[in-house]
Amino acid sequence: MTDTGRAPTPSPEIERQLAALGPRAIVVGLPSFNNAATVPAVGAAVRAGLAAHFPEVPAALVNVDAGSTDGTAELLADAGLPVALARHEAPLGERAAVPFHGIPGRDAALRLAFRAARRLDGRVLVLLEADVTSIGADWIERLVRPVLEEKADLVLPAYARQRYEGTMTNLLLAPLARALFGRRLRQPLGGACALSARLLDHVLAHPDLPSTGRDLIDLWVTGRAIADQFALREAWLGPRRVESRTRTTDLPTMAAQVLGALFTVMERYEPLWLGVTGSEPVPAIGEPVARGPAPTTVDVERMVGAFRRGVRDLVEIWEHVLAPETLGDVLSLDARDAGTYRFPDPLWARVAYDFALGHHYAVVHRDHLLRSLVPLYLGRTAAFVLATQAASGAQTEAALERVGAAFERQKPYLVERWS
Amino acid sequence: MRRRAPAGRDWYRDAVFYEVHVKAFADGNGDGVGDFVGLTQRLDYLKDLGVDCLWILPMYASPLKDDGYDIADFYSIHPAYGTVEDFQTFLDEAHARDLRVIADLVMNHTSDQHPWFQASRSDPAAAYADYYVWSDSDVRYREARIIFVDTEKSNWTFDPARKAYFWHRFFSHQPDLNYDNPAVRAAMLDVMRFWLDRGLDGFRCDAVPYLVEREETSCENLAETHAVLKEFRRVIDQEYGGDRVLLAEANQWPEDVRPYFGEGDECHMAFHFPLMPRLYMAVRLEERLPIVDIFTHTPPIPPGAQWALFLRNHDELTLEMVTNEERAFMYYAYARDPAMKLNLGIRRRLAPLLDNDRRRIELLNSLLLTLPGSPIVYYGDEIGMGDNVYLGDRDGVRTPMQWSRDRNAGFSAADESKLYLPVIADPVYGYQAVNVAAQAGTPSSLLNAMKRLMAARRTSPAFGRGSIEFLRPRNQRILAYLRREQRDTLLVVNNLAGSPQPVELDLRSFAGSTPVEMLGRTRFPTIGEAPYFLSLGPHGFYWFRLERPDGGDEPYGIEESAI
Repeated sequence: MTDTGRAPTPSPEIERQLAALGPRAIVVGLPSFNNAATVPAVGAAVRAGLAAHFPEVPAALVNVDAGSTDGTAELLADAGLPVALARHEAPLGERAAVPFHGIPGRDAALRLAFRAARRLDGRVLVLLEADVTSIGADWIERLVRPVLEEKADLVLPAYARQRYEGTMTNLLLAPLARALFGRRLRQPLGGACALSARLLDHVLAHPDLPSTGRDLIDLWVTGRAIADQFALREAWLGPRRVESRTRTTDLPTMAAQVLGALFTVMERYEPLWLGVTGSEPVPAIGEPVARGPAPTTVDVERMVGAFRRGVRDLVEIWEHVLAPETLGDVLSLDARDAGTYRFPDPLWARVAYDFALGHHYAVVHRDHLLRSLVPLYLGRTAAFVLATQAASGAQTEAALERVGAAFERQKPYLVERWS
Repeated sequence: MRRRAPAGRDWYRDAVFYEVHVKAFADGNGDGVGDFVGLTQRLDYLKDLGVDCLWILPMYASPLKDDGYDIADFYSIHPAYGTVEDFQTFLDEAHARDLRVIADLVMNHTSDQHPWFQASRSDPAAAYADYYVWSDSDVRYREARIIFVDTEKSNWTFDPARKAYFWHRFFSHQPDLNYDNPAVRAAMLDVMRFWLDRGLDGFRCDAVPYLVEREETSCENLAETHAVLKEFRRVIDQEYGGDRVLLAEANQWPEDVRPYFGEGDECHMAFHFPLMPRLYMAVRLEERLPIVDIFTHTPPIPPGAQWALFLRNHDELTLEMVTNEERAFMYYAYARDPAMKLNLGIRRRLAPLLDNDRRRIELLNSLLLTLPGSPIVYYGDEIGMGDNVYLGDRDGVRTPMQWSRDRNAGFSAADESKLYLPVIADPVYGYQAVNVAAQAGTPSSLLNAMKRLMAARRTSPAFGRGSIEFLRPRNQRILAYLRREQRDTLLVVNNLAGSPQPVELDLRSFAGSTPVEMLGRTRFPTIGEAPYFLSLGPHGFYWFRLERPDGGDEPYGIEESAI
């Protein structure tokens, strides 16, 4: 394979390690940053999965590390797998305030992993998360087999989650991704995934491969793969349990990063979404798991309180971001009585689109804009919780389907105003 | 643009007021005098500034011997300011912007030109004979003090037409109305109805302590006066749904002002006169005692009532409500030139009073906007306008608003000799340097600083409605207080000194809370058991909202797995 395009060339040291490994059909890419507590479990799951499901296929682990100081790389070197240890550029700012996915400089890490996988002549690159301890041997099988045996090019994850896990994904990211890209992805951002050699070659050679900006590459690859007719699959992987001391749990930071990434992809790569209409489900591998009842305590009162505080404190920002009718409708939501409080899906879709437009036109400082969405997100989440507390799993799925459908129906609102 | 206007019947408790003189604000017809047409054109400026309610100085027909506080016809607008129709347009345009308007109403007296007085003096037998306080001698009510000591020798003046003395607490051309006469009370209610019917949101009731006179009293704050005000309040509440406001001007000590609130059945608001000089005193002395002290002597007021706070107004900075010793200090500190003194006060604007020191101007405004009450900003003080102490009476602080560096400061297209008063043109405060246009375009200007302060004030109801609790740090130069309203707790820390100061605050009862600075939204270190240490720059101040650990920092239960 020849390397073209804009991905950085691996250093001579990593080139030497890759050359020593020789061809490996299965490449497991593992970005990491101070994950010593969890990488032994992840390494063991990889080893067991490969041994159980692909004993005959040559495989290797490529670790791309952001500069761990806790011995993460050393632990992986001893994981009992053929391994290459690489370091990628991680901006100091991202190391000081770790992103929602836990990997400073994730874009650089993935570009490096893509290149390494092609150097090893890999037929599939599986990307895993170094701090997800619920990984089992079967995850490897479900991510790898569709690529090796079913001509899939991109396998994205679907997790078995209780209904109030992934609220930002379920109420915002997934509906947006569905409307933008035309695929009903359950987990458009964050999680384990797998890419085919064909897709890797395509993105590495693509002039648009993001080389600046933050957290763009996952969404861009997905959007690119969909736009260019690559075969998508969704793999049911079971629960996703994160054990991280570094991932942020600050919702405004999370919102700023996640939505900032999505809105920037919209901004830079209009052809990926502007002309897309309708949506299709993605063929799934494994047994779908309906969203379980809520074991965690979710504090609806506090969410409603945050929404009300937002109405009180942020109107002066929102009036720059939201269309006058959208703002009027938001301000007239009556959150005083939990029994009657609703946040209609079409309104929520308009809110999200107004924020995308506000980001596009930079009507206020973009970071402030993104953060000011959080009380609205909490208000929408509170309404979702109130509506589904006593609902069945199927009813909850239906409620989320309605959100996605509303985003899809309202997409012309976004497109007309974008230009 | 949408903005939350204070809604509900007690809107005045959250409102920021702006005191404006029609003649001084903007001249719409180019005759050299401001008018309602001009004021209407400037409403967007006021909206943008962040005020909620305008207080219009007397706008009625008047010979203008006391700048309109001598009303000659309660039912018409002074021709120089426009017509009742112009006023109606102005009022409707203000309401369209969620701005409310109250107007001055002089209840105590009229002009001697008023037809009531002319009838009263000419015919002692006619219907208006008892509209005023007449006497055959000038020795009644001798206990009553003379207010304008610089110009008046007695509260009685002989009228050669009626051949009797008439009573006047202010100038001798301002005869006091006789509130013992039911016809006078009914006539004044009709006057109020006339303006309330047009949509006016209330009155600033001028000189209310003096309505009724009784022998062997000071003729101030009498029970009979309170009865009159209560009657007015009851009728207005009944007929206008209870959201029209009465703001009492009673230049008295807080315990004497307190009765003007009644039990919530008299005036909605009253000025807190004694606080104002003490704010200046505290900043000059660099010590918090004068402010803390006056609040210790401020009685609680009924629910729904509200103090009106101000730094400056159209009158002299009044020193009636300080002791002689304090007054001497104030003259010494703030009025070194005798021309600056008037009656018992200092006739200067805010910026010159503070030597144009931007830090002190902002500090005083921080106090104004955060102490308990509704703040009133005097027109022009938001851009730091200057005064002209060589103009007569109180005219030095009533000069044209400075809009731009155009001719006449952008106030009027008239020939400059036609202006009602000359614009300020000195090298420091002159309109070429101090004007709205220049400051609007400069993010760091006083105007923009004022906007930011007012916008921050708007984010918490605790400023207008909260309780007050002074902290007692060892450093006497720091004035720190808590404002609390339901779940909202604010901490305001002011450095009264012109040098940097450290302070240790006992905030143990808020351990675990995080102070979030309200202007920059910066999160300060979380409060623990140890004294909370802050350092403040010269005349610096902080407005913090204390975020409880259970008030937004505690998890919602979704963030661990939100993605």
